[in-house]
Amino acid sequence: MSVRSGSEAKGDCLVEVADSADGLEVATKNADLLGDGIRDVVHEVLAEVGCEGVALRVADFGGLDYVIAARTEAAARAADPTGTGRVTPAVDRIASDRDRPRRSRLYAPGNQPRLLAGIDVHGADCLLFDLEDSVPPAEKAAARILVKHLLAAVPFRDEVWVRINPLELGGDADVEEVLLGRPHGICLPKAESDKDIRALSELLARVESDLRYDEGSTWIIPILETAQGILHSEAIAASSDRIVMLAFGAEDYTRDVGALRSRRSLLYARSAIVAAAAAAGVQASDTVFSDVNDDDGLRKEAELGRELGFDGKGAVNPRQLPTIHRAFSPTDEELERARAIVAAAREAETEGLGVVALDGRMIDRPVLDRAKRLIKYADRLSEGGDRDA
Amino acid sequence: MRNGVDREIPEQIGTRDVRPYEGAYATVRTDRKVARHQKWSSPQDDKVLPSIEAAIEACGLSDGMTISFHHCFRNGDRVVNQVLDACARKGLKGLRIYATALFPVHEPVIEHVKSGVVARIEGSMNGPVGAFVSQGGQLAEPAVLRSHGGRWRAVEAGDVEIDVAFIAAPQADPLGDATGIRGKTPCGPIQFSAVDAQYARKTVVVTNDLQPYPVHPFEIQAAWTDYVVEVDEIGDPENIVSGTLQLTRSPTNLRIARLTAEAVVASGVFVDGFGFQGGAGGISLAVTKYLGDEMEKAGIAAGFAIGGGTKLLIDLLHRGLVRTVLEGQAFDLDAIASLREDDGHVAIDPGFYANYDSRSCATYQLDAAFLGATEVDLDFNVNVNTHSDGQLLHGIGGHQDVAAGAGMTMITVPSIRGRLPMILDRVTTVTTPGEVIDVVVTERGIAVNPRREDLKDRFEAAGLPVRTLAEIREEVGRLVRPARKPVFGEEIIAAIEWRDGTIIDVVRKVEGWA
Repeated sequence: MSVRSGSEAKGDCLVEVADSADGLEVATKNADLLGDGIRDVVHEVLAEVGCEGVALRVADFGGLDYVIAARTEAAARAADPTGTGRVTPAVDRIASDRDRPRRSRLYAPGNQPRLLAGIDVHGADCLLFDLEDSVPPAEKAAARILVKHLLAAVPFRDEVWVRINPLELGGDADVEEVLLGRPHGICLPKAESDKDIRALSELLARVESDLRYDEGSTWIIPILETAQGILHSEAIAASSDRIVMLAFGAEDYTRDVGALRSRRSLLYARSAIVAAAAAAGVQASDTVFSDVNDDDGLRKEAELGRELGFDGKGAVNPRQLPTIHRAFSPTDEELERARAIVAAAREAETEGLGVVALDGRMIDRPVLDRAKRLIKYADRLSEGGDRDA
Repeated sequence: MRNGVDREIPEQIGTRDVRPYEGAYATVRTDRKVARHQKWSSPQDDKVLPSIEAAIEACGLSDGMTISFHHCFRNGDRVVNQVLDACARKGLKGLRIYATALFPVHEPVIEHVKSGVVARIEGSMNGPVGAFVSQGGQLAEPAVLRSHGGRWRAVEAGDVEIDVAFIAAPQADPLGDATGIRGKTPCGPIQFSAVDAQYARKTVVVTNDLQPYPVHPFEIQAAWTDYVVEVDEIGDPENIVSGTLQLTRSPTNLRIARLTAEAVVASGVFVDGFGFQGGAGGISLAVTKYLGDEMEKAGIAAGFAIGGGTKLLIDLLHRGLVRTVLEGQAFDLDAIASLREDDGHVAIDPGFYANYDSRSCATYQLDAAFLGATEVDLDFNVNVNTHSDGQLLHGIGGHQDVAAGAGMTMITVPSIRGRLPMILDRVTTVTTPGEVIDVVVTERGIAVNPRREDLKDRFEAAGLPVRTLAEIREEVGRLVRPARKPVFGEEIIAAIEWRDGTIIDVVRKVEGWA
């Protein structure tokens, strides 16, 4: 079979290495309007990877520039596996705050341009481009190149993450490639021990150094989705300063322990993660809810997550974001109560009282701290723009 | 000359003297509408004829005359092709087709143009006929595109004199009373043709379900009908549901729909008894659904909705969330069943809901409307007629009539389709002027016409993402290299009428690319 990259799906583009050296052929539905722009993108990529001589057939199905660039790069590199050239885009993304709100982490499959186009408009707190479960083995190389170009091309307002493969299954190559697109962090699936995190952290440090990023500027979310992972959650959470959140993956977990998925069967794992995260001072994010059409079920599960102490939840479709964001945002009553507590504390201070009281009840220091945190959190959310986002 | 939307238009198009568009409500007419033809019958008259050919003969149809059709079967229509084939067999030449709209099923029209049977087309052209006409040099006069209301107005004003109206009628009686909501193959209201039936020199009702007198409701009346022909097939009702009538599943389009519904809620018009227009198209359907949910939550109901009758709109009627549905055309079979059964569901004609030359029309009562677009420009002008490559693609439908009438007109449009940006410096063709557009909703944010600072304030207060069109265009511009643009020659392919009969733009033949 010829060397090719991409597909004929809407929003994608199929780049094939042609047998004869007859230059560049471009086919697109609106050739008169779009042909030249596509040719420019292809030529720029070929020049950068040092494959100007490669003859390509490009069939476009409405791919954005970064899709065409990624497909071209993947095909050119596959045609010449010994070559070392690759596209190193300029990215001006800066590291994100450790404590920023992360109510939602929205998964998007890393090799499906149609689902990636416009993924930035939905107001997810964290976007997770997936290279693991949603990408078939044969597409892994193309997917990591696509995600790199996507990260570099789109000025995301959300925090952007990449879920890599386990390090021994190509995760190392994933990191080498996608860090060129400067994601805010890396999600490590099936994290089972502090050793896994240290290995990833060392790899990140090396690549950060190669790329002249600040060391430690790439965050980590370990995804705990096995019995080992849950049992070692405390050690995992404390294993690296890069960790800002623990995430739970219920599908693999139930399979691993032989449980049926239910509120009861997941209770231990969920609570273990929440406690481990709290002990290490990081956030905790609950598992995804995969029935996109069951908004009521999603709402109930999100409310349960909040009740258990989670800070956020995974999403598999942008439609789920408003419900998740509502569940993990402070309610008006909570905010009102928090403001009253802070006001009472301020009053006690001006009057020189040692004890803070509200409605005849004493307010402890931790309660006051929590109230302040809640107000700060709510302020950060309202800076975010969209009401639902 | 330059018209009111800064478009270069000639003083004459074909044989027609051009009145340039000057403003959405600039035309004030004080003359009279044209008179209708005298008709007569005796109580013994028999109007039923054995075939379309017999009707063509009886009507005295001859070369160069104008024949008219409605589009209520949309892509399932069988009457246009049957009549044109009959005209060809009769050796007729140089006919003008005055259809409300042509669809891909009407591709045979192309052969009739090539063979000279058809010389002129006025009406919407969706699909192959539009592409054919776009090549230029095919028609004796440039095509003319009109809105629903504009088409009705043109007949009343005498701009278009119909010689023979052929009206596909799902059920009719021998005297020519006819309806679209009953019969073997109902297609929904056929009152688009009511003006044709009244003003045409001769009116022919073509039915596949001839029933004893009286057939009602009297959408088409015996008083207007000259002849009745029974045929085997007039149309396939399954095809009135077109691809644009599926609820969207695209996350981008659903986001646009959600933002639109939230904007309606925040706009100040969202109070009990308000009126909205619920169109077809994936995004509009989703907006209708979300609006229904919002009304339920707020405990209010809409006083009325103008459709595009769809199952979704009928569901709102049944749930008590819309008190009256005013329906110009049916978009699915549920809507047709509801017209027969539901008290609050009323069929209306374009003269009632969209006519510029009238003392009032239903679209003027709308508080909010959401409409689609092919392109929008920085002046809020909207194009629904041509593709970005300059090809004639779609008709106007009710776009101008609704946009001009509604208190808040919202355009729902993705910021990019494939590699083509939809927010441009200048639209390829102006269908609807920016002066009647209040809000443009894209997945990247909501742009508010500077005339409507009040809406901008309300949207911002509600936490909605308000952006400028320039910002959205710029953001999309980072994702794709600029596309080339068509270079237009002198030949005019089609004239775009504003709903008052003035020319808002012309479509010229594409000569090259820049």
